[in-house]
Amino acid sequence: MRTLRRAWRLRSARIALAVLALVALLAVAGGALAPHDPLAQHPADMLQGPSGRHPFGTDYLGRDVLSRLLAGTGLSVAGAIEAVGSAMLLGIVPGIASVWLGRTVEWTAQRAADTLMIMPFTVFAIAVVGALGNGMHQAMLALGVLFAPLYFRVTRAAALGLKQAQYVEAAELMGASRRWILRTHVWSKVLPTVAVTTAQAVGQALLVVASLTFLGLGVQPPAPTWGGMLASDLGYLAQQPWAPLIPGVAIMITVGALNILADAIRDSSGGQEQASPAEAPLPALSPPAAVGSALAPVVAPKEVEDRVTTG
Amino acid sequence: MSQPAESAKAAPRTAVLTVEGLDVTVGPGVRAVREVSFTLERGEAVGLVGESGSGKSLTCRSVLGVLAAGCEIPAGRITLGGSAGEQDDLTTFTRTQWDAVRGKRVGAVFQDPASFLNPSLTVGRQLSEQLRVGSGLPRSDARSRAVELFTAVGLHRPDEVYHQYPYELSGGMLQRVLIAIAVSCAPELLIADEATTALDVVIQAEILELLNRLRTEQGLALLLVTHDLAVVAESCDRILVMYAGEIVEDGPTAEVLATPAHPYTEALLRVASIGAWERRDLEIIPGRPPETGAELPGCRFADRCAYAAQQCTAGPVALHALGDHRRARCLRPAGLLDEQVKEEAHA
Amino acid sequence: MSSPTASHTTPSATTHTTPAAAPGLAPERKGPAPLLELAGLNVSFGRRATSLRRAGRTRVLAGIDLAIGPGEILGIIGETGSGKTTLARATVGLVRPDAGRIVFDGQDLTQLDRSGLREFRRSGRVQYMFQDPLRSQDPELTVRQIVAEPLAAVGALTRQGRAERADQALTLVGLDAEALGGRTPGQISGGQRQRVSLARAIVTRPRLLLSDEPVSALDASNRNLVLSLLDRLRRELGLAVVVISHDLSSLAGIADRVAVLYRGRLVEQGPIGEVLDHPLHPYTALLTASAPSVRREHRLLPSQLRAPAASSGTQSWPDDEGCVFAQHCRFADDACRAEPRPGAVTDTPASAAYAVACHHTATWRDQLG
Repeated sequence: MRTLRRAWRLRSARIALAVLALVALLAVAGGALAPHDPLAQHPADMLQGPSGRHPFGTDYLGRDVLSRLLAGTGLSVAGAIEAVGSAMLLGIVPGIASVWLGRTVEWTAQRAADTLMIMPFTVFAIAVVGALGNGMHQAMLALGVLFAPLYFRVTRAAALGLKQAQYVEAAELMGASRRWILRTHVWSKVLPTVAVTTAQAVGQALLVVASLTFLGLGVQPPAPTWGGMLASDLGYLAQQPWAPLIPGVAIMITVGALNILADAIRDSSGGQEQASPAEAPLPALSPPAAVGSALAPVVAPKEVEDRVTTG
Repeated sequence: MSQPAESAKAAPRTAVLTVEGLDVTVGPGVRAVREVSFTLERGEAVGLVGESGSGKSLTCRSVLGVLAAGCEIPAGRITLGGSAGEQDDLTTFTRTQWDAVRGKRVGAVFQDPASFLNPSLTVGRQLSEQLRVGSGLPRSDARSRAVELFTAVGLHRPDEVYHQYPYELSGGMLQRVLIAIAVSCAPELLIADEATTALDVVIQAEILELLNRLRTEQGLALLLVTHDLAVVAESCDRILVMYAGEIVEDGPTAEVLATPAHPYTEALLRVASIGAWERRDLEIIPGRPPETGAELPGCRFADRCAYAAQQCTAGPVALHALGDHRRARCLRPAGLLDEQVKEEAHA
Repeated sequence: MSSPTASHTTPSATTHTTPAAAPGLAPERKGPAPLLELAGLNVSFGRRATSLRRAGRTRVLAGIDLAIGPGEILGIIGETGSGKTTLARATVGLVRPDAGRIVFDGQDLTQLDRSGLREFRRSGRVQYMFQDPLRSQDPELTVRQIVAEPLAAVGALTRQGRAERADQALTLVGLDAEALGGRTPGQISGGQRQRVSLARAIVTRPRLLLSDEPVSALDASNRNLVLSLLDRLRRELGLAVVVISHDLSSLAGIADRVAVLYRGRLVEQGPIGEVLDHPLHPYTALLTASAPSVRREHRLLPSQLRAPAASSGTQSWPDDEGCVFAQHCRFADDACRAEPRPGAVTDTPASAAYAVACHHTATWRDQLG
């Protein structure tokens, strides 16, 4: 992938990837690294500030915040990946198929996306959990289905433009298969859009886990997640106003790294460098100034501006 | 700044446009137009020819005062109407001063007419607006004058065209509308920058005929900027050839085409359409022009020139006068190169 | 042959242009069988209903009979909207014709279904060059990948073999494969991009190349360079070339034959020298008289051929009936209300196919003032 290789050359992309690698490491080994049992309650040590024993303090049940943060990484990240992964699968594939596989597929996919977009989130999540059983995977699948139209729409928009592109038409004239066209000409141009969407979607998924927990869906209460911690900390702002910052910063760093990576991918994709300076030596001159006909209207706003600033 | 040749050729009293030693930079120190000097006389049609990047469009934009952001005029004077006063130098004009010039004393037409018209107003309204702003005509007079102008530029059924929107007209008709707007306030000078390039040949010929008719009827001077030597050959009295920012040749069309003095003109002539269709070997100009603004010690065409000698790259080559009407930036026709060759032969 | 979709056009047009009803209308040709033959080609586009008019079909091409032999260069001249690009797109199957045959090397392409057409395209025998190289080349691929794509897309040769063939093609069009092979289209000049398009078109060693306005965006020197390249490829590879252009100078010096298209009809076709030097159709005459030239040698002036302003644009010549040029023709009379059939010209050398569609071929020159 040319785009990905070029993105790798950017320093910002490498830093973002290093941060994401660290998050991945914590997700796998977070529980083992936790200094305390993340579930053990110590009613005597409730809502304490940072100390040598509890570097990030304790929560309203006296549980060690650092341990919960480390142990919660796994569940949070796994949940976000499940949700976003299923959304990508359910969004990108129909998005591209709706452009290339004829009118029936197009109509069906579009109506399905419309339907999902008007679905009330809570009701839908309860319905899915009710049908498939209560658990994190079911809840995340529900989330994925609801995120799918987002991917469907951005992918479809990008692919629609590409279908009209002359180089795609040229490839059709070579007798290229649909697979070849998608792989060679379409995928790398859809990728930047998908990357930006993913960075947004992961951030939302991390937070939504908390609201599902609040409804008693998905991750069950004692088990720690970043979103869940953030939600419960918000209930004790009077006692510990700084506490929500800790899970908040963890979410921010992860989503921020994803956004930087998405930007790097977008900047590395070929579209921007089409017009070389030699081809377009000068910006087009502004139309109204060139012909006498519209001179007065052009000048007028400027004068008004001057008067406003001087008077 | 001024060449020795120009001091001999005093500006005639009927000059409409005088450009002297014009330099245009497109960035810090990037000189895209170098020491361009020429005069346009009343009723004269001059063709400014050059390939893309030769500085021909920058030159005509300087005359219109519509250079893009980042472009500057570090040196040179542009005057209208042969007046020589310091206050008449267009390069020092303010916005308000320009308002009295653009559309009134100088009109312009460009390659893409549709982008110079407001798509949500009828073309008739846009012309009568110009008449009201430019000539101060009352609304009703402006309307009837607009219809007259549409007739004058050869639009059929001008009453109907008046009420049409730009999207309803073809490219050739839009170009006629723009010409009507450009000449509506009876300017002394009309600048046509690649005005016929995008049109079909049949329409192109009609537009060129129209421009020439307006020139003879209204006595306006015409500056026709184009990359196509063939277009100039058929409609201009005089040719100015630009190469890499400089004027390399200037002279009456027939003479220049018959005996080009600069090797670049000669090369352009070899590759131009000659109106012959039979199979033949097509000529090309080898090499590429220098980068925009490149500083070269000598002649800017030397590395593509078949006649280039040592002296050509030794120092700057001036625009020499050749007889009364012609100028060329080449050592060969001026006889300077032959002397050099003789000297070398002696040594 | 008249398809149900064509019934929206006027009856006179459909009866005139059905190929079955018009045998032998294509000019007689001597010599080898044509490489490509178009017979009675009709193309129309669907038009959606608007508040002003009913839905229907807009006829873009009608009754096109055209042939091109192996190693021949054919120029197709027409103004904006004459249907010249549609003609090329229909030939390669990007537009489906309503009626008519497109026979390439004995095979009727209009009879092919989707997979048959793809199979035909995969053979790489016919190539199409788009008008704008910047838009028809993937901005993310390198020049070498672009040129090798026609091979790679069908899985021909090994990766190594394809790269070699791409480099050969680049060398053949006069580009330095080493220096440019790794660049993207945005990093090379306009003239170079046009030659990359040409290299991509010849990498499959095709027998026919259709090129849409190959040189109209280039300056005179680059135009001649690309045109001489086409001529050399024809000689060296035996390639037949169709050059489509609005501009006569894009054909000068290389084309053998020329076909003049006006509002979807071929009004004149024949050997380029004869057609353009002694046009038999008033439109061709207007076209050649209007073409600018550095030599003033035209025998006719455009103003001698244009219809007087009064008659043009009046209601007397309804659309879609009679001669397509009648509205703008100085010599049109009542006879022109019937559509002229493209008839072979008899008093031209038999070696060259020559046809012209005008009622007054023999007489219009006499009316010149």
